[in-house]
Amino acid sequence: MKKIKEDLFALLFILPSLTAFCFFMFWPLIRTVYLSFFDWNMIKPVKKFVGLQNYITLLQDDVTYKVLGNTILYILILLVVNFVLPYIVSFLLSFVIRKGKSFYKTAFFLPSVISLVVGSILYVWILNPVTGPVAMILRFFDMQLPIWSKSEGLVIWILSLITSWKVFGYNFIIVLGGVMGVSQEVIEAAKLDHIPNYKIFMQIVLPMSSSTGVYVLITTIVQGLQYVFTPIKVVTQGGPNYASSNLIYQSYHEAFTLYKTGEASAFSVMTMALFILLLVLEFKFVEKGVYYEN
Amino acid sequence: MKINVKQMIAHIFLGVLTIVLLFPIIFAIANSFKTLEEATNHIWRFIPLNPTIKNYIHVFETLPFGRITWNTFLIAFTVTIFKSLTSIIAAYAFVFFDFKGKRLLYFTLISTMFIPFTVTMIPNYITVSALGLNDSIWGVALPQLADALGIFLLRQSMRTIPKSFIEVAKIEKVGHLRILSDILVPLVKPAIISTGIIFFINSWNEYVWPVLILKSKENYTLSLALQMFISAEGGTDFTVAMAVSVITMIVPLVLYLIFQRYIINTFALSGIKG
Repeated sequence: MKKIKEDLFALLFILPSLTAFCFFMFWPLIRTVYLSFFDWNMIKPVKKFVGLQNYITLLQDDVTYKVLGNTILYILILLVVNFVLPYIVSFLLSFVIRKGKSFYKTAFFLPSVISLVVGSILYVWILNPVTGPVAMILRFFDMQLPIWSKSEGLVIWILSLITSWKVFGYNFIIVLGGVMGVSQEVIEAAKLDHIPNYKIFMQIVLPMSSSTGVYVLITTIVQGLQYVFTPIKVVTQGGPNYASSNLIYQSYHEAFTLYKTGEASAFSVMTMALFILLLVLEFKFVEKGVYYEN
Repeated sequence: MKINVKQMIAHIFLGVLTIVLLFPIIFAIANSFKTLEEATNHIWRFIPLNPTIKNYIHVFETLPFGRITWNTFLIAFTVTIFKSLTSIIAAYAFVFFDFKGKRLLYFTLISTMFIPFTVTMIPNYITVSALGLNDSIWGVALPQLADALGIFLLRQSMRTIPKSFIEVAKIEKVGHLRILSDILVPLVKPAIISTGIIFFINSWNEYVWPVLILKSKENYTLSLALQMFISAEGGTDFTVAMAVSVITMIVPLVLYLIFQRYIINTFALSGIKG
């Protein structure tokens, strides 16, 4: 009897969150899958069932493959700046420098609390090819800043860097937390054996903090792609000629610019399938070697 | 001596990184107090020769900016209160109760962090419109009353509290709500404050969802007002755009600088799984 009462309390405490999630997360998820089998524009009273046609249309469209390619490039750049670089900086902070640690921590996290719309607008001005300060420096060296918002390829680099401005500090703090969490005794023992610092980092610290690493790796890909949405939307709207669009922006574009609800739904279902695939791969191959504390 | 050289190189590297990350903020503040003429001719000058607040006045004259700031605050405040309450009690249940399917339920809720927003945006848009909340700030707040990251962070923090505390209280027949408010909340206060600040800042900065829901200017939030000053070519209102940027970022920056220790510690813990 007492047990039932306890269970009831637990349910009562979880219920508010669960209700909100059911209405605005789980139910919409099912509904999006359902909508992906229909031809609809959100306004028409009748939805027309078309089976897998939306998926077929997308898979036959060259734009889909271009956007997929862009997405992969975005992921690679975001990983270098927001996954590899935080590790390098964490190494410097925990093994090399002695002073200024808390200053760097505060400074690096600062942009993470600022809106990406602000970040986008500031970088549009800073990187303005004619009047911006960066263009001025380059001109001093007789170089020119290309019109990056219209250059295929380059535009992805710039938008990734704008996004990284916000994401880097956040990831860095999490990575540093993991690195600092490694037992000091183990490190001191290795130092007594005169093992060089970078070797201690690579062979002891990295493996022992790998659960943090996996977490940051996944969030960089999953959240990073969603963060990139904002600079794409406010700076290029996916252009020129879809050169800066990614999977996330493309579903938005199909849904709220072209009003192709069915195709947009199919697109986001495929995006989610890709994310799930990444998670499964991660569990299968990476998680095996992961070291968990406690 | 060798160590000093290494340290110096490290400091130079970290210093350059600091400048790259902080430059845009300083750039915005400096230029928002310049006249357009001074900004155009002396973009590298960080302390304006003839400081002016005309840009800020201009912003408030051309847009209902008081209203826009109030909207942003109201959404962020509502979202923060609801997310904090729902996350605290859910985290409490996940840490201090044992019931069937607990792990599965927790895992299901947490995994929603990895669902891209595009999967839920169309049905949520339809729901909010059906409720007549299109172009209303309540339509922006409604789908954000609970938060997986909040449950996760608060659970991480509550796990550090020995269960015996709670067991003793239970034997003394203290009710759960009393345990929660009198014992637990004071103990995990830093985590509650920092998740609250994070909720507030994230909502303040939010762009994707409000841009779908809010249509008329008097219902805009700061991020939406800001995007009117942006185009790939830049546009002409440079100094005004900088002023709007400063207004938008000042609140999160001040909050962060006040609570930075809490926030950094909470995030540092979030990567360590359990």
